[in-house]
Amino acid sequence: MPTVEIDPNELRELTNADEKSDDDLIDDMFALGLEFEGRTEDDEFELEFAPDRLDRLSVEGVARSLRYQYGDDRGVYVPNTNSAEWTITVDEAVPEERPYVTGAVVRGVNLDEDALDSLIQLQEKLHATMGRKRAKGAIGIHDLTMLKGSSAGDADSSVRYTGVTPEEDSFVPLDADREMTPADVLEDHPTGETYADLVRDTERYPAIYDELGLFSFPPVINGRRTEVTTGSRNLFVELTGTDQWTIDKMCAIICYALSARGGTIEEVTVEYPDHDLIRPDLSTETKTVSHERIETILGIDLDPEEVIDLAERAGIEAETAEADGGRSVERAERDDHDSEDLVYEMTIPPYRVDVLHPMDLIDDLGRAYGFNELEPRYPDVGTVGGRHERSRLEDATRRNLVGLGFEDLLNFHMINEKENFDRMALPADGGDGERAEGEAVYGAGEPATIKEPYSEDYTMLRTWVLPSLVMVLERNTHRAYPQDLAEIGFAAEVDESENTGVTERRSVGAVLARHDAAYEDAKGRLQTLVGDFGGELETPPTEHPSFIDGRTAAVVIDGEEVGVIGELHPKVLVEHDLEVPVAGFEFDLEVLN
Amino acid sequence: MKLPHAQAAVVETASADEAQSVDALAAATDLPTETVTGAAFELEEEGLVAVEERVDETVSITEEGREYVNQGLPEIRLYEAALEAGAADDPISMGQVIGASGLEGQAVDIALSNYARKGYGSIDSGEITADSDADPGSDSEANALEETASTSGVDDGATGATDDEGEAGSSPADALGIDEETLESLERRDLLERSETTVRSVTLTELGVTELMGGVETTETVGQVTPDLLTSGDWEDAEFAEYNVEADAEPVQGGKVHILRQTADRVKDVLVGMGFQEMEGPHVDADFWINDCLFMPQDHPARTHWDRFALEQPTHIEDLPADLVDRVERAHRKGVGDDGEGYHSPWDEDFARALALRGHTTSLSARYLSGEETGRLEPPQRFFSVEKVYRNDTLDPTHLLEFFQIEGWVMAEDLSVRDLMGTFEEFYAQFGITDIEFKPHYNPYTEPSFELFGTHPTTGELVEIGNSGLFREEMLEPLGVECDVMAWGLALERLLMLMYGFEDIRDIHGTLCDLELLRETEVTY
Repeated sequence: MPTVEIDPNELRELTNADEKSDDDLIDDMFALGLEFEGRTEDDEFELEFAPDRLDRLSVEGVARSLRYQYGDDRGVYVPNTNSAEWTITVDEAVPEERPYVTGAVVRGVNLDEDALDSLIQLQEKLHATMGRKRAKGAIGIHDLTMLKGSSAGDADSSVRYTGVTPEEDSFVPLDADREMTPADVLEDHPTGETYADLVRDTERYPAIYDELGLFSFPPVINGRRTEVTTGSRNLFVELTGTDQWTIDKMCAIICYALSARGGTIEEVTVEYPDHDLIRPDLSTETKTVSHERIETILGIDLDPEEVIDLAERAGIEAETAEADGGRSVERAERDDHDSEDLVYEMTIPPYRVDVLHPMDLIDDLGRAYGFNELEPRYPDVGTVGGRHERSRLEDATRRNLVGLGFEDLLNFHMINEKENFDRMALPADGGDGERAEGEAVYGAGEPATIKEPYSEDYTMLRTWVLPSLVMVLERNTHRAYPQDLAEIGFAAEVDESENTGVTERRSVGAVLARHDAAYEDAKGRLQTLVGDFGGELETPPTEHPSFIDGRTAAVVIDGEEVGVIGELHPKVLVEHDLEVPVAGFEFDLEVLN
Repeated sequence: MKLPHAQAAVVETASADEAQSVDALAAATDLPTETVTGAAFELEEEGLVAVEERVDETVSITEEGREYVNQGLPEIRLYEAALEAGAADDPISMGQVIGASGLEGQAVDIALSNYARKGYGSIDSGEITADSDADPGSDSEANALEETASTSGVDDGATGATDDEGEAGSSPADALGIDEETLESLERRDLLERSETTVRSVTLTELGVTELMGGVETTETVGQVTPDLLTSGDWEDAEFAEYNVEADAEPVQGGKVHILRQTADRVKDVLVGMGFQEMEGPHVDADFWINDCLFMPQDHPARTHWDRFALEQPTHIEDLPADLVDRVERAHRKGVGDDGEGYHSPWDEDFARALALRGHTTSLSARYLSGEETGRLEPPQRFFSVEKVYRNDTLDPTHLLEFFQIEGWVMAEDLSVRDLMGTFEEFYAQFGITDIEFKPHYNPYTEPSFELFGTHPTTGELVEIGNSGLFREEMLEPLGVECDVMAWGLALERLLMLMYGFEDIRDIHGTLCDLELLRETEVTY
């Protein structure tokens, strides 16, 4: 889970809650879903957050939520905005891979060191979450006073979002002391190397110009000229990305945080070739939520006033309305039994990115009410329980194997080629596991393989169970013999006739390791097991590379060849450092059905 | 009278006139000493013999003691060397005397520490004097050693075994005329050892004599019960040989159902009892069923994250239900309902068709809810599974690449979070966890969502024990479900570790398992 770092003193300051101890704050934040993980070296709280409320990725947002929780704030707050003086023009050269831009101007921000750190953290956390590591949205924040708006034409200042070829222009990026082309940045600048993959394969790289030239190379790095410091009072915020809604929401969250630091938001005009946008988009949205649904989800009766109160405490606003129009709260109360078509128009603030459905607002009401205040009840709904047939068969077979003295094992379904094939002396030729006569060798099917395995030990699904059992024998040569092990386990192979391209089966594998283990010991047990399930067992001689020739048979149950039985070949035993003979068998569970 | 074999032998061998030790009787009857002792006590209870007990102290010479008998005590050898060197007249340097004595190593220390104590002379500033009046011939320690050695037979170890007075090389303390002071000194020097043994001797009583005169028969004792014994009726007169019923027997290696399976079985029992039906389905499945049907956006970090097990071969599912694909895509793009919002994320059917090992069994829930597995479901329904899921992550004591997920859901009209809480309280109560806390949480496919916390039954810690919520309408509507569904999941291994306190899950699950641990693990039920 991602974490965010919050300074408790700042939190107290921004919530006007000096009386709260650190522990109080920790408890209050837990109720918001921010879990205290520990403290940083600077004694800040490290909090784990659930990735829905991305407006709480900095101290300003957490403080806002706490003020709602404390009842200091109610309803929806939207900061005032001044009208645009700056324009971002989007020209035709913008790379088609990153066509969208948005932005805002914020004036009069009080950026002390803490506020600047918080802003940088917010930017990073937004990049990591909504921004999908800057691929979907990237934020650049600049010192406005260092920008020179183009005075071509009217009084408005403007910057230009465009694209440049990798070597076309140069600028001094942050954390560098020389002019670099975008190509140089990708090559030689640490931040450039990190984000190189986002632009490397495109013909033109995103670039933002003012009158003086290139000052930002999104989504990679800003120029040093416009670097924001604790002395910066007026800021220019730009965001580029692959989705307008996403960057607009990220922009709104940044604007709210800067507004909490005393900033005044000023609009910018985004001039696309075919249309203009006024940004930031701090418009609210509304959703219609039914009173009845609120009551059934929370399982309690509520008055409309209570719902409206809960909504305001949750930082949303609710007004009663009627599904088919024109009903008042008074009438709903007067006519309490018929509140079916009572609905609320709920207003959602612009920084919320997680409200996709009215249910998300009902969840907010529940949190404001306190879910743990609700009395649990067992649902009065009758159903009939039961096990799946395959699962019952598996259990019955397992009981019989244990009755025959086998230790029941549980191994991984994943294995690697070496263990599954090579060390069992099976040809690791995947699909070509055919003998001269054209009969398939048990276990030698084509494996389903993992694309990017984390560990070399687990690169495919096992095609049979015996290799796992032999590995357990190998690991336990220091333990007492006899070691009679069995597993009813999953095995799979590639099978083009299946919808998923893989046939999955349950397989019954068993090994007997002891100083005098012989074919007969395995056969005796197999005979009993198959007999218990009313099957008819035949064991015609066969050949299998894992077993000794002349001591190997096919397992044929009710006329169908479903497995193999025999004494493991000495080369398999020696390969696994075993010094006792091992007899074993494996067959498909389904045949016992 | 009839007596068991051992008792008959003891009665016949014992005498009314002379007490015989148990060892002597054992030798005479050719029975083990324990058997004779047992028989003697049984006979005593019948009043046929009297058993007397006496505690004997025996003295035996140690190996070191025996060495000095042969070579002389070190202090005497030092004295003799000192006399030789003329130390009776003038102090002689210690090094010279020791060199002449032939003493080496520890023997030197022993000699020096006993020399003055026993009045052979004095040692001062590295010089040694000898007292010419001292007489090694009357050294009580030397004499006592010699006597002990001779009476207990110095070279008699082998035949001494039948010595009925004690073990080889030991003599009854009384028989040796050694005074207590000398004995203690020698014991301190580890040259002699004293030990106490209980000696029992047996005498025939008058009743015993009478019975013996009347004739004693031996009853047959039976070892193995045989078919012949049973059919012949001989068992009626048979005396069954006694076993040592307390002794450990040869270990028997039995089979046992795997501990994690036992736990899974218990969970299944509980859920079936609560009216849940079991689901099953593919381990290798399309991302469509694993993620898209769960309203997980295609650019969600969990879907591109490296912990997902994408398949290299095969790569894509052949068929997906076309109308369901359309509905799911629409939910992702536009949301569900009049006021629904979609994700501002790309959606591509080819991406949805990619195969992977399922990261959760919620893919099964999606398949069942869609009607794909058992046909359209009408509420109410309860379903569960306890099946494997896969996470491409590091292996450590609490995390495996494969683990069992308990997944359960309830479908009904108008479910509330209170129903959800009541159901989970009931479930966890079955495992002794009774104080569940519901922490509001976020899951992409449930709303409201709760993490479940409970108190660890042994450590008392508050631990996370599951994740739950009501499936979102964006998930249910495309699947064709028109009522509410609440669901929860947790790792079976977590429950196992909580309930039984295992510390390293790798010892139990997988090919690194330790057979001994599995064999010795307590059965759960």
